[in-house]
Amino acid sequence: MTHIILREKDVPNIRELDVYLANEGFDGLKKAVSMKPSEVIDEMKRSNLRGRGGAGFPTGIKWSFIPQSEPVKYVVVNADESETGTFKDRQIMENNPYQMIEGALICAYAIQATAVYIYLRGEFWDIAHDLDERIEAARAQNLVGDDILGSGYSCEVYTHLGAGAYICGEESALLNSLEGLLGQPRVRPPFPAQKGGGLYKEPTVVNNVETLANAPYILRVGGEKFAELGTQQSTGTKVICVSGHVNKPGNYELEMGKHTFRDLIFEMAGGIPDGKGIKAILPSGGSGPIVPATDEVLDTKLTYEDCQSIDTILGSASVMILDETVDITWAASKMTKFFKHESCGKCTPCREGTFWLDKVIDRILRGEGKRSDVELINNVAANMQGTTLCALGDFAANPILATIRHFPEDFYAHVDGDDEKAPVKAAGD
Amino acid sequence: MSDNMVKIIIDDVEYEVPAGMNVVDAAKWHASNDIPVFCYHPKMEPVGMCRMCLVEMGTLQRNPETGAVMTDEDGNPLVRWFPKLQTACTQVATDGMVFRTNTQAVVDARENVLEFLLTSHPLDCPICDKGGECPLQNLTMAHGPGESRMNFSDKMKLDKHVPLGDLIFLDEERCIQCGRCVRFQDELVGDDVLAFHERGRTLQIITNSDPGFDTYFSGNTTDICPVGALTTADFRFGARPWELTEVPSIDPHDAAGSNISLSVRLDRDFGGRAMIKRVMPRQNEYVNELWISDKARFGHHFTRSEDRLQKPVVDGKDSDWATAISTIAGLLEGADGDIAAIAGSGMSNEDLFALRSLVTANGGKRLGAWPTTHTGADLVAAVGVGVGTNLSDLGAGDAVLIVASDLEEEVPIWRLRLKGAHDRGAYVVVANARKTRMDDFASATPRYQAGKAAHWLDGIDKADPEVAKALKAAQNLVIVAGAEGLTLDGSRALMQSAANFLIDSGHYGKANNGLMSPLPGPNGMGLHYVGFTPEVTADIAQNPPKVLIVAQAEILSDDPYARAWLDKVETIISLNLFPDAVADMAAIALPIQSFAERDGTFTNGERRVQRFYTAQGPMGDALPAWQALSRISEHMGQGKAKASAAAVMVMMSNELPAFEGMRYRELSRTERQFPDISGDDMYYGGTAYQNKGGLGKVIPTTAEQGETPARADVSLPPVLEVGKGQFVVLPATRLYNLESTFRPSTLVHPRIMSPFVEVNAADAARLDINNGDVVEVKLPDVSVRVRASVNGGAPEGALVLPRHLTDDPTPMTVAVGEIAKV
Ligand SMILES: Cc1cc2nc3c(=O)[nH]c(=O)nc-3n(C[C@H](O)[C@H](O)[C@H](O)COP(=O)(O)O)c2cc1C
Ligand code: SF4
Ligand code: SF4
Ligand code: FES
Repeated sequence: MTHIILREKDVPNIRELDVYLANEGFDGLKKAVSMKPSEVIDEMKRSNLRGRGGAGFPTGIKWSFIPQSEPVKYVVVNADESETGTFKDRQIMENNPYQMIEGALICAYAIQATAVYIYLRGEFWDIAHDLDERIEAARAQNLVGDDILGSGYSCEVYTHLGAGAYICGEESALLNSLEGLLGQPRVRPPFPAQKGGGLYKEPTVVNNVETLANAPYILRVGGEKFAELGTQQSTGTKVICVSGHVNKPGNYELEMGKHTFRDLIFEMAGGIPDGKGIKAILPSGGSGPIVPATDEVLDTKLTYEDCQSIDTILGSASVMILDETVDITWAASKMTKFFKHESCGKCTPCREGTFWLDKVIDRILRGEGKRSDVELINNVAANMQGTTLCALGDFAANPILATIRHFPEDFYAHVDGDDEKAPVKAAGD
Repeated sequence: MSDNMVKIIIDDVEYEVPAGMNVVDAAKWHASNDIPVFCYHPKMEPVGMCRMCLVEMGTLQRNPETGAVMTDEDGNPLVRWFPKLQTACTQVATDGMVFRTNTQAVVDARENVLEFLLTSHPLDCPICDKGGECPLQNLTMAHGPGESRMNFSDKMKLDKHVPLGDLIFLDEERCIQCGRCVRFQDELVGDDVLAFHERGRTLQIITNSDPGFDTYFSGNTTDICPVGALTTADFRFGARPWELTEVPSIDPHDAAGSNISLSVRLDRDFGGRAMIKRVMPRQNEYVNELWISDKARFGHHFTRSEDRLQKPVVDGKDSDWATAISTIAGLLEGADGDIAAIAGSGMSNEDLFALRSLVTANGGKRLGAWPTTHTGADLVAAVGVGVGTNLSDLGAGDAVLIVASDLEEEVPIWRLRLKGAHDRGAYVVVANARKTRMDDFASATPRYQAGKAAHWLDGIDKADPEVAKALKAAQNLVIVAGAEGLTLDGSRALMQSAANFLIDSGHYGKANNGLMSPLPGPNGMGLHYVGFTPEVTADIAQNPPKVLIVAQAEILSDDPYARAWLDKVETIISLNLFPDAVADMAAIALPIQSFAERDGTFTNGERRVQRFYTAQGPMGDALPAWQALSRISEHMGQGKAKASAAAVMVMMSNELPAFEGMRYRELSRTERQFPDISGDDMYYGGTAYQNKGGLGKVIPTTAEQGETPARADVSLPPVLEVGKGQFVVLPATRLYNLESTFRPSTLVHPRIMSPFVEVNAADAARLDINNGDVVEVKLPDVSVRVRASVNGGAPEGALVLPRHLTDDPTPMTVAVGEIAKV
């Protein structure tokens, strides 16, 4: 398959503007500016592209929510890439940066935005610096700035660095951070697309890097052609970030619905090191429910809908593989620590729940837990789910709820049967 | 169903509520359903943080064609329920919303949120100031889990005594991160000096100002804090709420007349007498809503100051009332009617009436008001803001003009409420010779030359035509006219210009329109209505009488030029709280009671007559001024002494038309106010909001009584002659100062500025004066050494010299002087 997103694998040096231009670069934007903005949105709708940031919301529909009557509108590119196990946006921005810029400008034109902000996680300072130079190079070719490609449409592109918080990948916290406020999610409604809910209260589209990098291709070949790839509900390709116990971790761009977890792990990623058995899969990093590596799971296709059928999510497709040696309680503890560290603290169940879960699971790992502690964390996590202000609270409950559901024995191994003190066991760290 | 009413269903009962009303408020107001909250506060934007208000929510299913509500076989409406519980505080009422607040899911959610909150909460209720009136305690009792599943030893250990400033302490362990304090400062005050720091479970409140928590409203955060995380330096560990008796009172410091509640108990520290332990706001949505300034909250210590005058003094010696009264009677009889009085605004209406009666019964005619900075109360009485005025009603389409006043320093509650008006879209104009804090909340900030406020307003059509046009076109217009940088004549001219403007544009005689003035003290309008005027004081100074009664007017502490004429008075009789310099030169000094020790009424700047009640045990032999005065009258055979302040009011209401119908019973009436924080309220916190003392009653303007106000010519005062090397010296007010009624509040002393003069940067450069230099400001017969502040506050050619920061008085009204580096 030729790549749509990871094109550097087919076209070396596509990161350079001349190479990009020589390989259909900015043809999508050229096409777009020759169309009416609403036609661009229709084209995106026809593609059925779903957001690659995790929630999988249909992109064309998102763009169509922007009220055209408002004079000031923004596009924000979510390059915070902070989901555990994701590293695809980084690769896109490092190796095929113009495609993201082009996609963002297509979106900007479609909603007639006044500016594009690329919000990068703080650790991406070198990428931001590089992007700044590329934006200037594009400006020199009349691709950014005033009167883009002679179309009469003008749009600026800025980069902005975050300060190192997972929550700032959540779109409304991201907007707060971009405005210089504390990175905490906002109450919705109003949603970012609505007046009052977006950047500086103006209607705003927030899209993931990968999502936008699809737009040039869609404009070039047409939404219908794009939708021929993948399944009806999961069109196009998806960059899958594979990590953990595999021989060849990395990003793999796959047409959706054509491959299973088994293909991904054993063919593309080269199987499990040292010939060990596979125990579990985290299809969407720490934030999605874990699944045991049963045959049913391994034969599940990589699509939004198929993942749902096995009670997990494709999310941003950061697939982490855990081999048979992993103590799932330890893994649950690691993930819980992550969410405790990253909870913004704005709402009660997540702020207090992650803190409490961490205390109890530590106790269990130290061998000082009781059988009832396993029920306790299960119950605490259940009480968090569905009651928080943003999805991080729901994410934070998953590592407990799903791990206990699928691997209760891993937990009970740390506590003895009669609710008394259990002997200390190796925790695997 | 009127246009803007919608139907919502709460627990299967349909209610008609205003469209857009917050659902928590709607449930409480219309359905008496207390949805529990921590972070929500009806005066602030909802944030959905605490999750305590989770409810089941849905919408009625309607037939897409007919719009009719669909029903099941039994005729019950079909509801499309949200899959998750929703926070009620972030919902506003729209037609067809359905809520359930009593299902198992909701009960569980409440219990869960409380359990979460309590995992981090210390178990120190027994020593917590909030214990007994704590929303967290109350809601835990009502909705919480019976026991904790959290190991006590796992709880956070955090700093429990973090001073956020000189006045407020934070207990980090108790904080539940509701953000009310931060939002109060950001949204309502506009001093964003608090913030959240860090994240997750380490999220904490910090102050980011220097000095810490730098605002005049900090105390309010301790009231709205739903736990005991914020406490005041004044009340901390001072008493338990259930030991306190709440006594309704009125802030004695400024013209707002903020309704306060004095929390008192019999206290060992006060000889077992009733003592004020704290001052809390008392809800009056017309006056101060739920807020008071820190001066109102922390400025009560003067009432118990050991420096108070405690015995009558006759000829320099401690005496008793009988002697003092008979001596005064003799002096008055011997005065041949050449008697005058000067009263300050700490005197209640009843005090003033008793004084008036005594003076007039003995042939005196002249009743002077103190200080002589502000005048024009007669114009406020004529075209003041109409009955029913509520500054909270001002918003888009309305306008406010604030002229010649530093409102933040003079009447902070007005500044708070008018900032709100600006936020709601009102066109707020702040006109002054210099920059003041209110500029930050203004739509336009025209400047006039120092001393020329009246010139500016009188000629506004030419000077600032755009502003004039916008003010005239406003739906409602309120003018707040002060007297900063003016002479008494200048103040008169400005007030008349303001009145003329209102008369010309028709903005008078109705609610939310008219004139207000930041008259000093709590009873500036009372002085007017009982007949005391500053013009008469000026006349008294010109032609000193034989006998002068000076009542709660610290003339010598206020005015460096007063001694010259006071010396010419043959006999001075002083009534005061403190043995001030006037008392020193008086033949007789009578100790009178402060507002806290007796009852009475004040008339605030919006002409609202409001009661205050006896709260604290008396200091020494002090008497209420009305009582002392009416005993003198009785001694002189001029009627029986009155038995109570209420009785004085009855008499006053018969004699003075303005007070017609102002019986105490009328004044103590209350009504249901929004937001509803009635006594059994479980979540707004603080026991003292509830208003049991009355909302008071507004004296209608003469315009409302059918008198057509006539515009009058403005006689502009002569322009000050400023010679070479000279400056216009503008006196200014500082909220925190060394006046006798504030000085004893030593806990605020770190916040009182050391004496300074503001110098314009260009002037300072010419004179080689640097920020912080000691300078001498020379005025006719007066000179003071203060530090120079070169921060852009003073206009070129002018010096701003705040009053009451030095031990010796500085000029009260605008003057011409010089400055030199020492
Ligand atoms: C806690 C949290 C973290 C998130 N982090 C990211 C992220 O790092 N990158 C991203 O693109 N989306 C992230 N999202 C999703 C965004 O909120 C948002 O849905 C997305 O940017 C929308 O873009 P899309 O429609 O193109 O997917 C996060 C969401 C949550 C709740
Ligand atoms: S769920 Fe967690 S991250 Fe999201 S708002 Fe609440 S505390 Fe913050
Ligand atoms: S200090 Fe009080 S008001 Fe402020 S966030 Fe904490 S609990 Fe809320
Ligand atoms: S979330 Fe509604 S009251 Fe706090």
